[in-house]
Amino acid sequence: MQIVVDLNRCQGYAQCAFLAPQVFELHGEEALMFTPAVPDDQRERVHRAAAACPVQAIVVGERAGPGVR
Amino acid sequence: MQPDTLFQRITDYANRADPYPLYAELRENGVTRQDDGSYLVGTYHEIAALLHDPRISSDYRSRTHPDEAMIRRNERPPSFIGLDDPEHDRLRRIAMRPFGPPHSPGRIDELHGDITRIAEELIDAFRGADRIDIVDEFAYPLPVTVICRLLGVPHEDVPRIRAWTNAIIDSFDFTPGADQEKRQQAGLDARDAMARYLGELAGGRRGHPSEDMLSALVNDAGPEGRLTDVELMATATLLLIAGHETTVNLITNGVLTLLRHPDAHKRLRDEPGLMPRAVEELLRYEPPVHMLPQRTPLADIEVAGVTVPKGAPLILMLASGNRDPLRFDDPDRFDPEREDNQHFGFGSGIHNCFGAPLARLETQIALGALLPYLDDFHLLDDPPPYRRSPLLRGPRHLLIARG
Ligand code: HEM
Ligand code: SF4
Repeated sequence: MQIVVDLNRCQGYAQCAFLAPQVFELHGEEALMFTPAVPDDQRERVHRAAAACPVQAIVVGERAGPGVR
Repeated sequence: MQPDTLFQRITDYANRADPYPLYAELRENGVTRQDDGSYLVGTYHEIAALLHDPRISSDYRSRTHPDEAMIRRNERPPSFIGLDDPEHDRLRRIAMRPFGPPHSPGRIDELHGDITRIAEELIDAFRGADRIDIVDEFAYPLPVTVICRLLGVPHEDVPRIRAWTNAIIDSFDFTPGADQEKRQQAGLDARDAMARYLGELAGGRRGHPSEDMLSALVNDAGPEGRLTDVELMATATLLLIAGHETTVNLITNGVLTLLRHPDAHKRLRDEPGLMPRAVEELLRYEPPVHMLPQRTPLADIEVAGVTVPKGAPLILMLASGNRDPLRFDDPDRFDPEREDNQHFGFGSGIHNCFGAPLARLETQIALGALLPYLDDFHLLDDPPPYRRSPLLRGPRHLLIARG
Protein backbone atom coordinates (compact mmCIF):
# COMPACT_ATOMS: atom_id res chain seq x y z
CA MET A 1 0.00 0.00 0.00
CA GLN A 2 1.20 3.50 -0.87
CA ILE A 3 0.09 6.93 0.16
CA VAL A 4 0.49 10.48 -1.03
CA VAL A 5 -0.45 13.53 0.98
CA ASP A 6 -1.50 16.55 -1.00
CA LEU A 7 0.51 19.04 1.02
CA ASN A 8 -1.24 21.95 -0.65
CA ARG A 9 -4.49 20.77 0.86
CA CYS A 10 -3.07 19.60 4.16
CA GLN A 11 -3.92 22.10 6.87
CA GLY A 12 -1.82 20.52 9.58
CA TYR A 13 -4.83 19.35 11.61
CA ALA A 14 -2.71 16.36 12.69
CA GLN A 15 -5.65 13.95 12.80
CA CYS A 16 -3.52 11.51 10.80
CA ALA A 17 -0.60 11.77 13.23
CA PHE A 18 -2.80 10.64 16.14
CA LEU A 19 -4.32 7.70 14.30
CA ALA A 20 -1.26 6.30 12.52
CA PRO A 21 1.72 7.72 14.43
CA GLN A 22 4.20 5.37 12.79
CA VAL A 23 3.30 6.62 9.33
CA PHE A 24 2.51 10.31 9.86
CA GLU A 25 4.68 12.49 12.01
CA LEU A 26 4.47 16.14 12.87
CA HIS A 27 7.74 17.99 12.87
CA GLY A 28 7.54 21.11 14.94
CA GLU A 29 4.32 22.98 14.53
CA GLU A 30 2.92 22.24 11.11
CA ALA A 31 5.35 20.28 8.97
CA LEU A 32 3.98 16.83 8.20
CA MET A 33 6.28 13.93 7.38
CA PHE A 34 4.95 10.61 6.16
CA THR A 35 6.13 7.21 4.99
CA PRO A 36 4.92 6.77 1.38
CA ALA A 37 5.26 2.97 1.38
CA VAL A 38 2.96 1.76 4.14
CA PRO A 39 4.04 -1.36 6.05
CA ASP A 40 1.32 -4.04 6.04
CA ASP A 41 0.68 -3.85 9.76
CA GLN A 42 -0.20 -0.17 9.40
CA ARG A 43 -2.85 -0.49 6.68
CA GLU A 44 -5.87 -0.32 8.92
CA ARG A 45 -4.45 2.66 10.78
CA VAL A 46 -3.78 4.47 7.53
CA HIS A 47 -7.38 3.93 6.44
CA ARG A 48 -8.54 5.43 9.72
CA ALA A 49 -6.20 8.37 9.24
CA ALA A 50 -7.33 8.98 5.65
CA ALA A 51 -10.99 9.00 6.68
CA ALA A 52 -10.27 11.39 9.53
CA CYS A 53 -8.38 13.96 7.46
CA PRO A 54 -10.83 16.87 7.40
CA VAL A 55 -9.68 18.05 3.97
CA GLN A 56 -9.22 14.60 2.41
CA ALA A 57 -5.58 15.29 1.68
CA ILE A 58 -4.46 11.67 2.05
CA VAL A 59 -4.63 9.57 -1.09
CA VAL A 60 -4.42 5.83 -0.53
CA GLY A 61 -3.80 3.29 -3.26
CA GLU A 62 -2.06 0.06 -3.98
CA ARG A 63 0.30 2.21 -6.03
CA ALA A 64 -0.26 5.88 -5.42
CA GLY A 65 1.26 8.79 -7.26
CA PRO A 66 0.31 12.23 -8.43
CA GLY A 67 -3.07 12.09 -10.13
CA VAL A 68 -4.10 8.76 -8.57
CA ARG A 69 -7.49 8.87 -6.86
CA MET B 1 -46.37 28.31 27.02
CA GLN B 2 -46.68 28.82 23.29
CA PRO B 3 -43.32 28.37 21.59
CA ASP B 4 -43.00 31.01 18.90
CA THR B 5 -39.55 32.05 17.71
CA LEU B 6 -37.62 29.56 15.64
CA PHE B 7 -35.05 29.13 18.39
CA GLN B 8 -37.76 28.38 20.94
CA ARG B 9 -39.19 25.77 18.61
CA ILE B 10 -35.76 24.24 18.06
CA THR B 11 -35.12 24.01 21.79
CA ASP B 12 -38.68 22.80 22.55
CA TYR B 13 -38.37 19.25 23.84
CA ALA B 14 -41.25 18.16 21.59
CA ASN B 15 -38.94 18.65 18.59
CA ARG B 16 -35.93 16.87 20.00
CA ALA B 17 -36.45 13.64 18.08
CA ASP B 18 -36.48 15.44 14.72
CA PRO B 19 -35.22 19.00 14.65
CA TYR B 20 -34.10 18.74 11.01
CA PRO B 21 -37.21 20.29 9.37
CA LEU B 22 -36.73 23.31 11.63
CA TYR B 23 -33.12 23.56 10.50
CA ALA B 24 -34.31 23.59 6.88
CA GLU B 25 -36.60 26.48 7.81
CA LEU B 26 -33.68 28.25 9.47
CA ARG B 27 -31.49 27.92 6.36
CA GLU B 28 -34.39 29.17 4.26
CA ASN B 29 -34.83 32.25 6.47
CA GLY B 30 -31.14 33.19 6.42
CA VAL B 31 -29.47 34.73 9.46
CA THR B 32 -32.30 35.50 11.85
CA ARG B 33 -32.51 37.72 14.89
CA GLN B 34 -34.59 36.20 17.69
CA ASP B 35 -36.76 38.16 20.12
CA ASP B 36 -34.11 37.90 22.81
CA GLY B 37 -31.54 39.62 20.58
CA SER B 38 -29.58 36.52 19.64
CA TYR B 39 -28.70 35.63 16.05
CA LEU B 40 -28.98 32.16 14.59
CA VAL B 41 -26.81 30.95 11.72
CA GLY B 42 -27.67 27.65 10.03
CA THR B 43 -25.95 27.66 6.63
CA TYR B 44 -22.68 25.81 6.06
CA HIS B 45 -20.52 28.45 4.41
CA GLU B 46 -21.49 31.16 6.87
CA ILE B 47 -20.82 28.90 9.87
CA ALA B 48 -17.44 27.88 8.42
CA ALA B 49 -16.42 31.51 7.89
CA LEU B 50 -17.48 32.48 11.43
CA LEU B 51 -15.60 29.57 13.00
CA HIS B 52 -12.44 30.84 11.33
CA ASP B 53 -13.02 34.53 12.05
CA PRO B 54 -10.76 36.00 14.77
CA ARG B 55 -13.44 38.61 15.52
CA ILE B 56 -15.67 35.89 16.97
CA SER B 57 -15.15 35.23 20.67
CA SER B 58 -15.89 32.04 22.64
CA ASP B 59 -15.72 33.94 25.94
CA TYR B 60 -19.03 34.77 27.62
CA ARG B 61 -17.53 37.95 28.96
CA SER B 62 -17.59 39.36 25.42
CA ARG B 63 -21.39 39.62 25.61
CA THR B 64 -23.01 43.01 26.10
CA HIS B 65 -25.71 41.44 28.27
CA PRO B 66 -24.49 38.19 29.76
CA ASP B 67 -27.42 36.42 31.40
CA GLU B 68 -27.57 35.58 35.09
CA ALA B 69 -26.40 32.02 34.64
CA MET B 70 -23.39 33.15 32.63
CA ILE B 71 -22.43 35.68 35.25
CA ARG B 72 -22.53 33.05 37.95
CA ARG B 73 -20.68 30.60 35.73
CA ASN B 74 -18.03 33.23 35.22
CA GLU B 75 -17.28 33.44 38.89
CA ARG B 76 -15.64 30.10 38.13
CA PRO B 77 -12.45 30.14 36.12
CA PRO B 78 -13.35 29.29 32.50
CA SER B 79 -11.75 26.32 30.81
CA PHE B 80 -10.11 26.80 27.42
CA ILE B 81 -13.27 25.96 25.46
CA GLY B 82 -14.61 29.28 26.78
CA LEU B 83 -11.48 31.40 26.28
CA ASP B 84 -9.98 33.22 23.30
CA ASP B 85 -6.39 33.20 22.06
CA PRO B 86 -3.75 33.69 23.29
CA GLU B 87 -5.01 32.24 26.61
CA HIS B 88 -6.92 29.47 24.86
CA ASP B 89 -3.88 28.51 22.81
CA ARG B 90 -1.55 28.35 25.82
CA LEU B 91 -3.89 26.14 27.84
CA ARG B 92 -4.75 23.89 24.89
CA ARG B 93 -1.05 23.32 24.19
CA ILE B 94 -0.34 22.41 27.79
CA ALA B 95 -3.26 19.95 27.75
CA MET B 96 -2.15 18.53 24.37
CA ARG B 97 1.38 17.75 25.56
CA PRO B 98 0.43 14.48 27.32
CA PHE B 99 -2.33 13.66 24.79
CA GLY B 100 -1.00 13.84 21.24
CA PRO B 101 1.72 14.77 18.77
CA PRO B 102 4.32 16.10 18.70
CA HIS B 103 5.11 15.33 22.37
CA SER B 104 2.95 12.21 22.92
CA PRO B 105 2.28 10.80 19.45
CA GLY B 106 1.52 7.27 20.64
CA ARG B 107 -0.99 8.02 23.42
CA ILE B 108 -4.21 7.41 21.45
CA ASP B 109 -2.79 4.58 19.37
CA GLU B 110 -1.81 2.73 22.54
CA LEU B 111 -5.44 2.68 23.68
CA HIS B 112 -6.47 0.50 20.75
CA GLY B 113 -6.22 -2.80 22.64
CA ASP B 114 -7.87 -1.42 25.77
CA ILE B 115 -10.83 -0.01 23.85
CA THR B 116 -11.32 -3.29 21.98
CA ARG B 117 -11.19 -5.26 25.22
CA ILE B 118 -13.67 -2.97 26.95
CA ALA B 119 -16.09 -3.22 24.02
CA GLU B 120 -15.86 -7.00 24.01
CA GLU B 121 -16.36 -7.30 27.75
CA LEU B 122 -19.48 -5.15 27.54
CA ILE B 123 -20.86 -7.23 24.68
CA ASP B 124 -20.11 -10.48 26.54
CA ALA B 125 -22.15 -9.22 29.48
CA PHE B 126 -25.35 -8.99 27.39
CA ARG B 127 -24.66 -11.70 24.84
CA GLY B 128 -27.61 -13.91 25.83
CA ALA B 129 -30.08 -11.11 26.52
CA ASP B 130 -33.19 -10.57 24.42
CA ARG B 131 -33.50 -6.92 25.32
CA ILE B 132 -30.68 -4.41 25.69
CA ASP B 133 -30.43 -0.75 26.54
CA ILE B 134 -27.62 0.35 24.26
CA VAL B 135 -27.03 3.53 26.28
CA ASP B 136 -26.72 2.00 29.75
CA GLU B 137 -25.09 -1.27 28.77
CA PHE B 138 -22.71 -0.16 26.04
CA ALA B 139 -22.53 3.41 24.77
CA TYR B 140 -22.11 4.99 28.22
CA PRO B 141 -19.74 2.58 29.99
CA LEU B 142 -17.27 2.39 27.10
CA PRO B 143 -16.13 6.02 26.75
CA VAL B 144 -16.38 6.76 30.45
CA THR B 145 -14.09 3.82 31.20
CA VAL B 146 -11.63 4.97 28.53
CA ILE B 147 -11.45 8.61 29.61
CA CYS B 148 -11.09 7.64 33.29
CA ARG B 149 -8.22 5.33 32.43
CA LEU B 150 -6.58 8.01 30.29
CA LEU B 151 -6.87 10.71 32.92
CA GLY B 152 -6.15 8.37 35.83
CA VAL B 153 -9.55 8.57 37.53
CA PRO B 154 -10.39 5.46 39.61
CA HIS B 155 -13.13 3.38 38.03
CA GLU B 156 -15.07 3.05 41.28
CA ASP B 157 -15.80 6.78 41.15
CA VAL B 158 -17.75 6.51 37.88
CA PRO B 159 -21.19 6.71 39.59
CA ARG B 160 -20.27 10.08 41.13
CA ILE B 161 -18.94 11.30 37.82
CA ARG B 162 -22.14 10.26 36.09
CA ALA B 163 -24.30 12.15 38.59
CA TRP B 164 -22.18 15.31 38.30
CA THR B 165 -22.10 15.13 34.51
CA ASN B 166 -25.87 14.70 34.26
CA ALA B 167 -26.43 17.75 36.44
CA ILE B 168 -24.02 19.80 34.32
CA ILE B 169 -25.55 18.71 31.00
CA ASP B 170 -29.12 19.30 32.20
CA SER B 171 -28.16 22.83 33.12
CA PHE B 172 -27.44 23.54 29.40
CA ASP B 173 -31.15 23.30 28.72
CA PHE B 174 -32.56 26.62 27.54
CA THR B 175 -36.22 25.72 27.95
CA PRO B 176 -37.55 28.24 30.42
CA GLY B 177 -39.58 26.78 33.23
CA ALA B 178 -40.09 26.76 36.94
CA ASP B 179 -37.05 24.61 37.58
CA GLN B 180 -34.60 26.41 35.30
CA GLU B 181 -32.99 28.33 38.13
CA LYS B 182 -32.67 25.17 40.20
CA ARG B 183 -31.15 23.21 37.31
CA GLN B 184 -28.58 25.89 36.74
CA GLN B 185 -27.57 26.00 40.38
CA ALA B 186 -27.33 22.19 40.45
CA GLY B 187 -25.11 22.36 37.36
CA LEU B 188 -22.76 24.86 38.97
CA ASP B 189 -22.58 22.87 42.20
CA ALA B 190 -21.77 19.71 40.27
CA ARG B 191 -19.05 21.51 38.31
CA ASP B 192 -17.47 22.78 41.54
CA ALA B 193 -17.61 19.34 43.11
CA MET B 194 -16.03 17.69 40.08
CA ALA B 195 -13.31 20.34 39.88
CA ARG B 196 -12.43 19.90 43.55
CA TYR B 197 -12.40 16.13 43.19
CA LEU B 198 -10.07 16.24 40.16
CA GLY B 199 -7.86 18.87 41.77
CA GLU B 200 -7.34 16.63 44.78
CA LEU B 201 -6.70 13.58 42.66
CA ALA B 202 -4.07 15.40 40.61
CA GLY B 203 -2.55 17.02 43.69
CA GLY B 204 -1.96 13.57 45.16
CA ARG B 205 0.18 12.62 42.15
CA ARG B 206 2.48 15.63 42.40
CA GLY B 207 5.92 14.18 42.94
CA HIS B 208 4.58 10.62 42.50
CA PRO B 209 4.34 10.30 38.74
CA SER B 210 2.16 7.60 37.17
CA GLU B 211 1.32 6.86 33.53
CA ASP B 212 -1.88 8.91 33.30
CA MET B 213 -2.62 12.40 31.98
CA LEU B 214 -3.42 14.00 35.36
CA SER B 215 -0.02 12.93 36.57
CA ALA B 216 1.68 14.29 33.45
CA LEU B 217 -0.15 17.60 33.85
CA VAL B 218 1.18 18.14 37.37
CA ASN B 219 4.64 16.62 36.93
CA ASP B 220 5.83 17.30 33.42
CA ALA B 221 6.19 20.87 32.20
CA GLY B 222 6.77 21.80 28.56
CA PRO B 223 7.82 25.12 27.01
CA GLU B 224 4.51 26.72 28.05
CA GLY B 225 5.08 25.87 31.69
CA ARG B 226 2.57 24.26 34.03
CA LEU B 227 -1.09 24.89 34.80
CA THR B 228 -1.92 26.75 38.00
CA ASP B 229 -4.11 24.81 40.44
CA VAL B 230 -7.17 26.68 39.28
CA GLU B 231 -6.37 26.09 35.60
CA LEU B 232 -5.70 22.44 36.30
CA MET B 233 -9.12 21.96 37.88
CA ALA B 234 -10.91 23.68 35.01
CA THR B 235 -8.93 21.80 32.36
CA ALA B 236 -9.35 18.38 33.96
CA THR B 237 -13.10 18.99 34.37
CA LEU B 238 -13.37 19.94 30.70
CA LEU B 239 -11.43 16.86 29.59
CA LEU B 240 -13.45 14.51 31.76
CA ILE B 241 -16.85 15.82 30.64
CA ALA B 242 -16.08 16.54 26.98
CA GLY B 243 -14.11 13.29 26.94
CA HIS B 244 -17.10 11.00 27.29
CA GLU B 245 -20.43 12.77 27.20
CA THR B 246 -20.58 13.35 23.45
CA THR B 247 -19.03 10.00 22.53
CA VAL B 248 -21.94 8.26 24.30
CA ASN B 249 -24.30 10.03 21.93
CA LEU B 250 -22.24 9.27 18.84
CA ILE B 251 -22.15 5.54 19.58
CA THR B 252 -25.87 5.52 20.41
CA ASN B 253 -26.75 7.54 17.30
CA GLY B 254 -24.68 5.06 15.33
CA VAL B 255 -26.70 2.08 16.53
CA LEU B 256 -29.96 3.99 15.99
CA THR B 257 -28.99 5.08 12.48
CA LEU B 258 -27.80 1.64 11.39
CA LEU B 259 -30.95 -0.05 12.68
CA ARG B 260 -32.97 2.52 10.75
CA HIS B 261 -30.93 1.91 7.58
CA PRO B 262 -30.70 -1.85 7.03
CA ASP B 263 -28.88 -1.42 3.69
CA ALA B 264 -26.09 0.58 5.25
CA HIS B 265 -25.98 -1.87 8.16
CA LYS B 266 -25.54 -4.80 5.81
CA ARG B 267 -22.97 -2.94 3.71
CA LEU B 268 -20.83 -2.26 6.78
CA ARG B 269 -21.22 -5.75 8.09
CA ASP B 270 -19.91 -7.13 4.81
CA GLU B 271 -17.17 -4.55 4.49
CA PRO B 272 -15.88 -3.51 7.93
CA GLY B 273 -13.17 -1.37 6.26
CA LEU B 274 -15.88 1.22 5.55
CA MET B 275 -16.37 1.93 9.25
CA PRO B 276 -14.06 4.96 9.52
CA ARG B 277 -15.96 6.72 6.74
CA ALA B 278 -19.32 5.65 8.15
CA VAL B 279 -18.37 7.30 11.45
CA GLU B 280 -17.55 10.54 9.60
CA GLU B 281 -20.97 10.36 7.97
CA LEU B 282 -22.59 9.85 11.37
CA LEU B 283 -20.82 12.95 12.62
CA ARG B 284 -22.44 14.82 9.76
CA TYR B 285 -25.86 13.17 9.74
CA GLU B 286 -26.56 12.77 13.49
CA PRO B 287 -23.92 14.83 15.29
CA PRO B 288 -23.84 14.78 19.11
CA VAL B 289 -23.24 18.54 19.29
CA HIS B 290 -26.09 20.35 17.54
CA MET B 291 -25.12 23.93 18.21
CA LEU B 292 -22.46 26.21 19.60
CA PRO B 293 -24.41 28.72 21.68
CA GLN B 294 -21.59 30.72 23.16
CA ARG B 295 -20.03 32.74 20.36
CA THR B 296 -20.05 36.56 20.39
CA PRO B 297 -18.77 39.06 17.79
CA LEU B 298 -16.10 41.44 19.09
CA ALA B 299 -17.12 44.00 16.44
CA ASP B 300 -20.18 44.54 14.26
CA ILE B 301 -19.92 41.88 11.56
CA GLU B 302 -21.87 41.17 8.45
CA VAL B 303 -23.15 37.63 7.92
CA ALA B 304 -25.06 36.85 4.72
CA GLY B 305 -26.20 40.46 4.41
CA VAL B 306 -27.26 40.86 8.05
CA THR B 307 -25.30 42.95 10.52
CA VAL B 308 -24.73 41.12 13.79
CA PRO B 309 -23.87 43.73 16.39
CA LYS B 310 -20.84 43.54 18.63
CA GLY B 311 -21.65 41.76 21.89
CA ALA B 312 -24.80 39.98 20.63
CA PRO B 313 -25.26 36.25 21.26
CA LEU B 314 -24.35 34.35 18.10
CA ILE B 315 -25.58 30.77 17.89
CA LEU B 316 -24.00 28.51 15.29
CA MET B 317 -26.25 25.61 14.35
CA LEU B 318 -23.67 22.97 13.40
CA ALA B 319 -26.23 20.23 12.80
CA SER B 320 -28.03 22.49 10.34
CA GLY B 321 -24.82 23.32 8.46
CA ASN B 322 -24.25 19.57 8.17
CA ARG B 323 -27.52 19.25 6.24
CA ASP B 324 -27.03 22.28 3.99
CA PRO B 325 -27.85 21.31 0.38
CA LEU B 326 -25.56 24.10 -0.85
CA ARG B 327 -22.65 22.15 0.64
CA PHE B 328 -23.60 18.45 0.64
CA ASP B 329 -25.30 16.48 -2.12
CA ASP B 330 -28.50 14.89 -0.97
CA PRO B 331 -27.82 16.00 2.62
CA ASP B 332 -30.72 14.18 4.26
CA ARG B 333 -29.44 10.85 3.01
CA PHE B 334 -27.24 8.74 5.29
CA ASP B 335 -24.46 7.58 2.99
CA PRO B 336 -21.62 5.76 4.76
CA GLU B 337 -19.54 6.01 1.59
CA ARG B 338 -19.84 9.78 1.17
CA GLU B 339 -16.59 11.09 -0.28
CA ASP B 340 -16.52 14.82 0.30
CA ASN B 341 -17.45 15.13 3.94
CA GLN B 342 -15.95 18.08 5.76
CA HIS B 343 -18.64 18.12 8.44
CA PHE B 344 -18.98 20.20 11.59
CA GLY B 345 -19.30 17.19 13.91
CA PHE B 346 -16.17 18.32 15.74
CA GLY B 347 -16.59 22.03 15.04
CA SER B 348 -13.87 23.78 13.05
CA GLY B 349 -11.19 26.43 13.54
CA ILE B 350 -9.11 26.98 16.67
CA HIS B 351 -11.58 25.29 19.04
CA ASN B 352 -12.07 22.22 16.87
CA CYS B 353 -12.43 19.18 19.03
CA PHE B 354 -9.35 18.39 21.05
CA GLY B 355 -10.35 14.75 21.51
CA ALA B 356 -11.53 13.99 17.96
CA PRO B 357 -8.97 11.24 17.27
CA LEU B 358 -9.95 9.43 20.47
CA ALA B 359 -13.67 9.82 19.80
CA ARG B 360 -13.20 8.48 16.27
CA LEU B 361 -11.24 5.46 17.40
CA GLU B 362 -13.68 4.63 20.21
CA THR B 363 -16.72 4.88 17.97
CA GLN B 364 -15.14 2.90 15.12
CA ILE B 365 -14.11 0.11 17.47
CA ALA B 366 -17.39 0.16 19.43
CA LEU B 367 -19.65 -0.01 16.38
CA GLY B 368 -17.35 -2.48 14.64
CA ALA B 369 -17.55 -4.86 17.60
CA LEU B 370 -21.29 -4.48 18.03
CA LEU B 371 -22.32 -4.69 14.38
CA PRO B 372 -22.17 -8.46 13.82
CA TYR B 373 -24.21 -8.89 16.94
CA LEU B 374 -27.00 -6.48 15.92
CA ASP B 375 -28.34 -8.58 13.03
CA ASP B 376 -31.12 -10.17 15.05
CA PHE B 377 -32.20 -6.98 16.77
CA HIS B 378 -34.71 -4.22 16.11
CA LEU B 379 -35.57 -0.91 17.78
CA LEU B 380 -38.21 -1.15 20.49
CA ASP B 381 -38.97 2.59 20.50
CA ASP B 382 -38.51 4.65 17.40
CA PRO B 383 -37.95 7.50 18.04
CA PRO B 384 -36.32 6.70 21.36
CA PRO B 385 -36.72 8.98 24.40
CA TYR B 386 -34.21 11.84 24.17
CA ARG B 387 -32.25 13.65 26.85
CA ARG B 388 -33.37 17.19 27.58
CA SER B 389 -30.49 19.10 26.06
CA PRO B 390 -31.01 20.52 22.56
CA LEU B 391 -27.29 21.26 22.42
CA LEU B 392 -25.78 17.92 23.34
CA ARG B 393 -28.54 15.89 21.75
CA GLY B 394 -28.86 12.15 22.12
CA PRO B 395 -31.15 9.35 23.29
CA ARG B 396 -31.54 8.85 27.03
CA HIS B 397 -32.13 5.15 26.41
CA LEU B 398 -32.05 3.04 23.29
CA LEU B 399 -33.91 -0.20 23.78
CA ILE B 400 -33.40 -2.92 21.23
CA ALA B 401 -34.93 -6.40 21.22
CA ARG B 402 -34.24 -9.69 19.52
CA GLY B 403 -36.59 -10.86 16.83
C1 HEM C 1 -18.03 12.06 19.40
C2 HEM C 1 -17.46 12.68 20.36
C3 HEM C 1 -17.18 14.16 20.38
C4 HEM C 1 -17.82 15.18 19.72
C5 HEM C 1 -19.00 15.10 18.77
C6 HEM C 1 -17.14 16.41 20.10
C7 HEM C 1 -17.46 17.66 19.60
C8 HEM C 1 -16.79 18.81 19.88
C9 HEM C 1 -17.08 20.10 19.29
C10 HEM C 1 -18.17 20.40 18.28
C11 HEM C 1 -16.20 21.00 19.82
C12 HEM C 1 -16.08 22.48 19.45
C13 HEM C 1 -16.57 23.39 20.55
C14 HEM C 1 -16.48 24.84 20.18
O1 HEM C 1 -16.06 25.18 19.08
O2 HEM C 1 -16.87 25.68 21.02
C15 HEM C 1 -15.36 20.27 20.75
C16 HEM C 1 -14.35 20.83 21.50
C17 HEM C 1 -13.65 20.13 22.46
N1 HEM C 1 -13.66 18.77 22.67
FE1 HEM C 1 -14.83 17.42 21.75
N2 HEM C 1 -16.13 16.11 20.98
C18 HEM C 1 -16.12 14.74 21.17
C19 HEM C 1 -15.24 14.02 21.94
C20 HEM C 1 -14.24 14.56 22.71
C21 HEM C 1 -13.29 13.82 23.50
C22 HEM C 1 -13.18 12.30 23.54
C23 HEM C 1 -12.53 14.75 24.17
C24 HEM C 1 -11.37 14.57 25.13
C25 HEM C 1 -10.56 13.60 25.18
C26 HEM C 1 -13.00 16.06 23.77
C27 HEM C 1 -12.49 17.26 24.23
C28 HEM C 1 -12.80 18.49 23.71
C29 HEM C 1 -12.20 19.72 24.17
C30 HEM C 1 -11.17 19.85 25.28
C31 HEM C 1 -12.73 20.76 23.39
C32 HEM C 1 -12.38 22.24 23.46
C33 HEM C 1 -11.38 22.55 22.41
C34 HEM C 1 -10.97 24.01 22.39
O3 HEM C 1 -11.69 24.87 22.91
O4 HEM C 1 -9.90 24.29 21.84
N3 HEM C 1 -14.02 15.91 22.89
N4 HEM C 1 -15.73 18.94 20.76
S1 SF4 D 1 -5.04 14.93 8.80
FE1 SF4 D 1 -4.96 15.74 6.74
S2 SF4 D 1 -4.78 17.94 6.99
FE2 SF4 D 1 -4.26 16.99 8.91
S3 SF4 D 1 -2.04 16.81 8.95
FE3 SF4 D 1 -2.91 14.88 8.22
S4 SF4 D 1 -2.97 15.11 6.02
FE4 SF4 D 1 -2.71 17.15 6.82
